[in-house]
Amino acid sequence: MTTPSVETLPSDSILDRLTSSDSEIKLKAIREVKNQIIGNRTKNLSYINLGAVPAVAAALSDSDSATNLIVQAAAALGSFACGVDAGVSAVLEAGAFPHLIRLLSSSEEKVVDAASRSLRMIYQSKLAPKYDFFKQENMQFLLSLLDSENENLTVLGAGIVIHSCETSAEQSILCYAGALEKLTSLLDGSLSQLDASLDSLAAIVKNNPEAGSKFVELDSGRALSSVIELTKDRYPQTKLLACLCLICLLGDSGQVGDEASFAFSRLIAEKEDLQKVAFDANAIDKFHGFLQKHPLKPKRLEGMFLALADLCAKLECCRSSFLSSEVLNLVVDALTHDDASVRTAACICLRSVSRSFKNLNAGRFMNERIVFPLVQLLSDLSTSVQVAALAAISNIVVDFMPHKSTFMQCGGVKELVQLTKAMDSSLRLNAVRALRNMLFLTDKMCKEVIFVELTASSMASLICDPESCVQVQALALVRNFVDGCVYSVEYAFAEDGIILDAVGKQLRKSSKVEIGIQGLYVLSNIASGNEFHKEAVMQLLFPQAENGSQSFFNQFLQSNDNHLRAAAIWVITNLTFPESPGAFGRIVNLRSLGIVSQIKKMFNDSCMDVKLRARIALGQIITFGDG
Amino acid sequence: MAASKKVITREEWEKKLNDVKIRKEDMNKLVMNFLVTEGFVEAAEKFRKESGTEHIDLATITDRMAVKKAVQSGNVEDAIEKVNDLNPEILDTNPQLYFHLQQQRLIELIRNGKIEEALEFAQEELAPRGEENQSFLEDLERTVALLAFEDVSNCPVGELLDISQRLKTASEVNAAILTSQSHEKDPKLPSLLKMLIWAQNQLDEKAAYPHIKDLSSAKLEDPVI
Repeated sequence: MTTPSVETLPSDSILDRLTSSDSEIKLKAIREVKNQIIGNRTKNLSYINLGAVPAVAAALSDSDSATNLIVQAAAALGSFACGVDAGVSAVLEAGAFPHLIRLLSSSEEKVVDAASRSLRMIYQSKLAPKYDFFKQENMQFLLSLLDSENENLTVLGAGIVIHSCETSAEQSILCYAGALEKLTSLLDGSLSQLDASLDSLAAIVKNNPEAGSKFVELDSGRALSSVIELTKDRYPQTKLLACLCLICLLGDSGQVGDEASFAFSRLIAEKEDLQKVAFDANAIDKFHGFLQKHPLKPKRLEGMFLALADLCAKLECCRSSFLSSEVLNLVVDALTHDDASVRTAACICLRSVSRSFKNLNAGRFMNERIVFPLVQLLSDLSTSVQVAALAAISNIVVDFMPHKSTFMQCGGVKELVQLTKAMDSSLRLNAVRALRNMLFLTDKMCKEVIFVELTASSMASLICDPESCVQVQALALVRNFVDGCVYSVEYAFAEDGIILDAVGKQLRKSSKVEIGIQGLYVLSNIASGNEFHKEAVMQLLFPQAENGSQSFFNQFLQSNDNHLRAAAIWVITNLTFPESPGAFGRIVNLRSLGIVSQIKKMFNDSCMDVKLRARIALGQIITFGDG
Repeated sequence: MAASKKVITREEWEKKLNDVKIRKEDMNKLVMNFLVTEGFVEAAEKFRKESGTEHIDLATITDRMAVKKAVQSGNVEDAIEKVNDLNPEILDTNPQLYFHLQQQRLIELIRNGKIEEALEFAQEELAPRGEENQSFLEDLERTVALLAFEDVSNCPVGELLDISQRLKTASEVNAAILTSQSHEKDPKLPSLLKMLIWAQNQLDEKAAYPHIKDLSSAKLEDPVI
């Protein structure tokens, strides 16, 4: 920033007026300077350079100064110090600091307000003199500030703690003197008292288990519950401070640590900004440190794993930090913990970390040390452990070749297939999803293993499962099965085409968009096969007896859902591929059924993807002549 | 499908409403909150006497209203001094509000035809704010554009001279003062009415019942079946 020239200031000498012996002139001058510099950094610096600060400060030391003059001077000094380090040093050099402290004991409320506000500004800077808590009179003075009825004095007291409490000895003496109690009582106060209180509490309990437990025992835990309650506050700044306060408390060995990690987890769940704050506050390293303290109670482990899961839910930087530390090993060890909630939480944590595409790609998770215990958990006695394990596996098996064999060698496929037949629908759902993910871009060997284990008839019954969410996953699973080369398409025709029949049945029956989309992509993949495959799709979509314009397929083409229309056109594109010998015959059929005219209407579809697909399909159709 | 909705007659509805108890003190506090937040000092004082409802320091409302009134009548410099006397932190820690007040000062100079003074003020006071914060530049350019037109009331940025611009700035200052006094910047009553409308909309989907359409009379309309 450029420092503006002194010439921009009033030409009549302001310095003369500031030091005038006429108190009226002096008062006016100080007020003028104050109004010039408030909110105005450039003017502030100009007046500092001009040497206005010592002139204003002199008014404080003059015992003849009237109340109003002192108020104006103190306010001006506060503004000089507000956010400008040059201002802070000028105020300190001018010797104003002890005078401001003295004025805190004034009987005039306005003087006290102005002086405390100025001191607060000074204490926000690193340049402020360090407050010596070990001097008895200092501590007493601080406590009297915190005890005061005057809001500005209490906030100043908290500001001094925030500024000067750094070492564990300082934390301890503040605890011992009863500062925690006084600061906690400010939590019920105004917004600025609240923020100052949270900030100063964090300064006292930070990395100090003893101070932490003292805080927790305060008022039989009520102080802690207020902080936890504040994490739901609607002011982001307050939330943030409550969050930092909680991170400080995580290391506590008593009940507070348990509560803190659950509250922390609730606080940051789904909120990327707060996750970033926690990451910047080294939350992952802190958890790592806490997790190494043995032995930990199950409740504690569970809370920390859930908190880690929430931390790693969105941000890749958190996942990297998690994986580069030893935390992963600790979580993996917990997969075999005696307590079911700990096992569940460890799985949830793994699922969250394994969202990292980069690390999946590197095969970070596909090793026996992780996969073997996870597969074991598929036959756990607790359903919630099973579901959590399935969810983690669903992510991990997306892993690309050649790591998938590890999972098969551990007996994972057999366990997953077993769970697709479970009574509990959430188990079926997650098992089918895991298999579906495993089939994503996989090779012939893997497909073969899964197919033999799962069987065509089971797939057909999963497509017709009573729960529609399972139906969707089953169709998506078949879609991945028949994706790729011609041999893949053949799977749909096993056992007399029982799978294809089930797909057709669902497409006709279901009104759910997602089922339509997945079903159509199954057909689209099949239609990319050979002549026989394409004809089978034609037969399924347009049985001889049906009128084309009323066919369910025509309904899909006219759907409001962009994805559904796009999927429907994909099927037509694959059916009319010009190189295939039967294309002409199929196009004639599609024309007579009114499908071609329907696609023509989509030439300028509002959805870009649909428009593009429609144009490609029409391009293929027109190579055989237009009508 | 109106036919399948549950119908609640006026009698049933009024009976249900009678079962809901509202405390008088709560009502009074809501009214007081409205008067204080909106700055009706004298009404608040009268209401306090007649209803015995507690209130915040009325002197702070008087000060706040004085600031608001100064902006509304175009005495921006006076308003700034008053805000600074009230609490220097308000403008020291709120650059956006500070900029808007300075912008309003420039607008008033232009309105009064003090072109040279306006130019000088824009250069010395506003330009550095634009350097400090890019987001102010657009507003600054729009305001300075006023200087380029002979007939400012009919130019593309003429709305800056509208009384509504003053009111906008005034309400921004009002809100900042309220916040600095740890007071909510909006009264509670409008939120309650918003909730009423929302709840009615929700219920409309499920039932036909006596509905309040006109908020000012709060009259129950007969259910449409």
